[in-house]
Amino acid sequence: MSPLHPHSPDSHDIATLWWWMLLAAGIVFLGAVALLLIGWFRRGEPGLPFFGESERANLGLVITFGMGIPIVVLVALFIVSDLYVLGKTDAPTSNSTGLTVTVVGHQWWWEARYPAGGAVTANEIHIPARTPVNLLARTADVIHSFWVPELNRKIDMIPGQTNRIELYAEEAGTYRGQCAEFCGLQHAHMAFRVIAEPRPEFERWLSASERPARAPDGAEASEGRRVFMENACAGCHTIAGTPAQGTVGPDLTHLASRQTLAALTVPNDRRELGRWIRNPQEIKPGAKMPGLELSNAQFHAIVTYLAGLR
Amino acid sequence: MAVAVPEASRERLERLERIWREPPGVIGWITTTNHKRIGILYFFTALAFFAAGGVEALLIRTQLIGPNGTVLSPVEFNQVMTMHGVTMIFLFVIPMSAGAFGNYLLPLMIGARDMAFPRMNALSYWIYLCSGIFMYVSLLGGNAPNAGWFDYVPLASKTFSPGPGIDFYALGLLFNGISTLATAINFIVTIFKLRAPGMSLNRMPLFCFAFLAVSFALVFALPALNAALILLELDRLLGFHFYDVFRGGDTILWQNLFWIFGHPEVYIIILPAFGIATAIIPTFVRRRMVAFPLVALAEILVALIGFGVWAHHMFAVGLSTITTIYFAGVSLIIVIPSGIQLFSWITTIVTGTPRFKTPLLWIIGFIILFILGGLSGVMFAAIPFDQQLTDTYFVVAHFHYVIFGAAVFPLLGGMYYWFPKVTGRMYHERWGQASFWLTFVGMNVTFFPMHILGLDGMPRRDYTYSPGLGWTGLNLIESLGAYLLAAGLGMVVVNLLVSLFRGEPAGADPFGGDTLEWSTTSPPPEYNFPVIPTVSSPYPMWDEEDRERDAANLERGEKVLEQGHETPASTLVDAEWDEILEMPSGSPWPPLLALALAGVFALVLLKQWLAAAIFIALIALVLVAWHAKEPAEA
Amino acid sequence: MGEVTRSMEARGGGAVAAVERQRRAQPSGWWGALLLIASEAALFGCLIATYFYLRFKSGTWPPDGIEKPSVTLPLVFTAMLLAGCLPVAAAVRAAKAGLAKRAWWLLALAAAVQATYLGLQINLLVDNLDSFSPRVDAYASAYYALLGLHHAHVAIGLAFDLWVLAALARGLTAYRLTAVRILGLYWYFVSAMAVLVVLTQLYPSL
Repeated sequence: MSPLHPHSPDSHDIATLWWWMLLAAGIVFLGAVALLLIGWFRRGEPGLPFFGESERANLGLVITFGMGIPIVVLVALFIVSDLYVLGKTDAPTSNSTGLTVTVVGHQWWWEARYPAGGAVTANEIHIPARTPVNLLARTADVIHSFWVPELNRKIDMIPGQTNRIELYAEEAGTYRGQCAEFCGLQHAHMAFRVIAEPRPEFERWLSASERPARAPDGAEASEGRRVFMENACAGCHTIAGTPAQGTVGPDLTHLASRQTLAALTVPNDRRELGRWIRNPQEIKPGAKMPGLELSNAQFHAIVTYLAGLR
Repeated sequence: MAVAVPEASRERLERLERIWREPPGVIGWITTTNHKRIGILYFFTALAFFAAGGVEALLIRTQLIGPNGTVLSPVEFNQVMTMHGVTMIFLFVIPMSAGAFGNYLLPLMIGARDMAFPRMNALSYWIYLCSGIFMYVSLLGGNAPNAGWFDYVPLASKTFSPGPGIDFYALGLLFNGISTLATAINFIVTIFKLRAPGMSLNRMPLFCFAFLAVSFALVFALPALNAALILLELDRLLGFHFYDVFRGGDTILWQNLFWIFGHPEVYIIILPAFGIATAIIPTFVRRRMVAFPLVALAEILVALIGFGVWAHHMFAVGLSTITTIYFAGVSLIIVIPSGIQLFSWITTIVTGTPRFKTPLLWIIGFIILFILGGLSGVMFAAIPFDQQLTDTYFVVAHFHYVIFGAAVFPLLGGMYYWFPKVTGRMYHERWGQASFWLTFVGMNVTFFPMHILGLDGMPRRDYTYSPGLGWTGLNLIESLGAYLLAAGLGMVVVNLLVSLFRGEPAGADPFGGDTLEWSTTSPPPEYNFPVIPTVSSPYPMWDEEDRERDAANLERGEKVLEQGHETPASTLVDAEWDEILEMPSGSPWPPLLALALAGVFALVLLKQWLAAAIFIALIALVLVAWHAKEPAEA
Repeated sequence: MGEVTRSMEARGGGAVAAVERQRRAQPSGWWGALLLIASEAALFGCLIATYFYLRFKSGTWPPDGIEKPSVTLPLVFTAMLLAGCLPVAAAVRAAKAGLAKRAWWLLALAAAVQATYLGLQINLLVDNLDSFSPRVDAYASAYYALLGLHHAHVAIGLAFDLWVLAALARGLTAYRLTAVRILGLYWYFVSAMAVLVVLTQLYPSL
């Protein structure tokens, strides 16, 4: 996840800006080192090369290199980066984009809501490729920061505020993001994926996400659904179309369609899902999900049920 | 420098020594008001905190040496990470530069016998020590603050940090701030009033200008931090709602108040280092500083402009575009006075005839590292770039280059430079140079890859990272670099320690220094100068005639000021002699007052309001006792 | 070299006045106090800025349920404190002229005015607390924090008054003169802050 692997016009602009700045910085640095080397080689002779011992020349050098040249370079930097590039990368007006997604930061996972059709998911944000997306950034608790460097700059998520950023993926692909504002114990494990897909595939994903949860398939899955509803699970999680309407933890309606668990901490397979549900603290110490006192059979049943929520 | 001291002079020296002698042993140290002893107390205490902060750094680097590290749990990491920042900034770098170097050298450089407020100087030290202990007590029981050294709300609010850790942070820093403010006031008044007659402001060494700028910056920056912390504790301890967005408060209020302090703070950290550089360079290149008045002005401008740039730490917060553009613009302006100083130093080195001894090596290392840190800093003024790279390892690289490279390297150089003056012995030159190279290499191996790591996307303050992200190799290199760096610093300490016992006698002026501290013995006598020096330029030691006049004055008894604990006071700008001041000698009140204050802060932490009020009354009593004996009765 | 005094040795009105006439630079303590005052003023500045920052981020101010502050009494009390600066200034002038007794009585008068001011203000504060608590909203938090900080400074000033009166009762020295001058600076500062604080406090009603 590097800002130097840009996949959007905005991150391209910023990466280009970086390379030019690096060039300028390199020239300045080498110039200064060269001067110091001159000092080393001429350590037996006082005065400057050419000018000799002239306080006026010395002052001239200080003013030229310490003030004159910096003023020129800094004004150029200001105009290019803070007027031109900033103008291009700033947040869009709200009606210039094709889609709005609201992302809410939680300690330590990401809630993604698609207002148009009511789809809600977690830690994976699907967007159509080559479409400007208006991303609204909010938080449910402390300050987080939404950052997917290959697509754009970061934007903080501040309590009481809704910030905006544009997401535009030039090509389909999966782009990693991570929380970029220290938010507590598991800040390091608060990552997410932006999955950009061709329009038809995105539409398919979106309508599937808007549907309520699949019914459990088979006896064990039904048992799992029952255990889920009767225990603390339903108090924290939502599974659309079921009595589980909790909003403390991520929405699990289509859990099985996601690639990872615990905000990219572990892959989403039966084994990890089982480990996670039995003892979340083992995978993500400090996570707010408690372990539960259930029998092996009950755990197994829940995993079977959840693994079917595609 | 007179070699054979004539009879009358010798009697005067004995008299001065009797007047200024402090009680022997531990009592003498606890009740000291002598700026040199206080400087030495600060030095060793700051060094201890440097070691603590260094251990914290090594723990962090060991945890991050490979992916999914298990050296520190997230609970431990967040406390260690926070304490590393708090320790290094508040308990090491400022106390070392201002408390140790500033205290020891300022009166010597201006030709005075002590600071303007010697007892308050001692108080500053004891408060510093108590506040450091106060904060480290939090580590017992695992209650250290854990929300980062800038402690953003709402993470730091009672809701999300219910334990006492953040209270230790807030109250500890409020406590520590009293020490720093007192030191700043002391420096300003000392510079304003106690300069040797004849040392007009334009003849004051650049080192002193740096400290004048630092002190004014502290006077106006600390209140912002204090305000932020007081409001935080009102929220946490008494249920107020300053930062509570659901009851009319505001989250970003904290960030504004904190950074209004925080940005000037980083210039406060670096300006003393500039001062040390301007003291070392002329001595070792054997010529005056190029563009002296410009450098003095630049030092003051940096401190001043530093108050106008704070929101450049907040470019990702969602401020209005016009606001971010303004702050970026002013942040670019501050490059100019830094550039002027940089090229003045470089030109002085090039046009002089440098002797590349250990102290100068550290300064050259400083110049290179400051340029690198400054360049990455300038890049952050490009707002879109900042919005990508802030909160990543790129910024960790930037600030370690400017803090370690540009603030600590001169401190290490200064330790070598003034070691002979303070101890009377020379350090070992070859080992000194070796220690420089090892530290320089270690520093770059540790922090340079962090630029790349940030550009590779690793956020800061992560207690671990996954394999397969491309971060593993760089983290490994940085951690190995950290061990190398620790070895370099260890070599510095060992060199100075061994030289303390086995170094060659140094004499008064082993390097041909330019400022007044080199005119007196090594170590200086309690009274600093037998005669108040005659001054006619910023390079007093290179004015032979003035130094000869001093020796003649001693014999004649002029400007010796031997009637008591005396030092002259002069007018502000032109330093015309105005009066003779009687200074206090040893006093038990400063440590007692510090203890009473510690009591107040501890009781507030424990929410024992009545007991805290009693301790406040105790403070009032100590203050009355402190002022009971007036100078005329001394 | 000329006549350079050991100013701290001056005792008694005449000697102290002479030293005062002769000095060309302000005493160290005076500078130290000025700088401390500058720092405290900056602290007040931050708190007042906080008040207005919160105000401009809010809708209704004060929020529903809290009455707008009444204007008359706070303004009258502030005027009283400002009036108390007159005897303070006169006391400083008297002390500089070596007139210890006159300075003492003027300071005692000032202290009486200041104590009355504090008493009346605390009374008003307690009344406020009966109608709304600082825990109710950020407006209230800012209101009480600002007032509390100001009143704390007044209380410290009163304690300082007492100490100076006790010291001055034993006669005038250069040291005690500096103390009187510092006391003067302090009360000018507290009074100036009182004006800023009361204007901020009453802002919703003005």
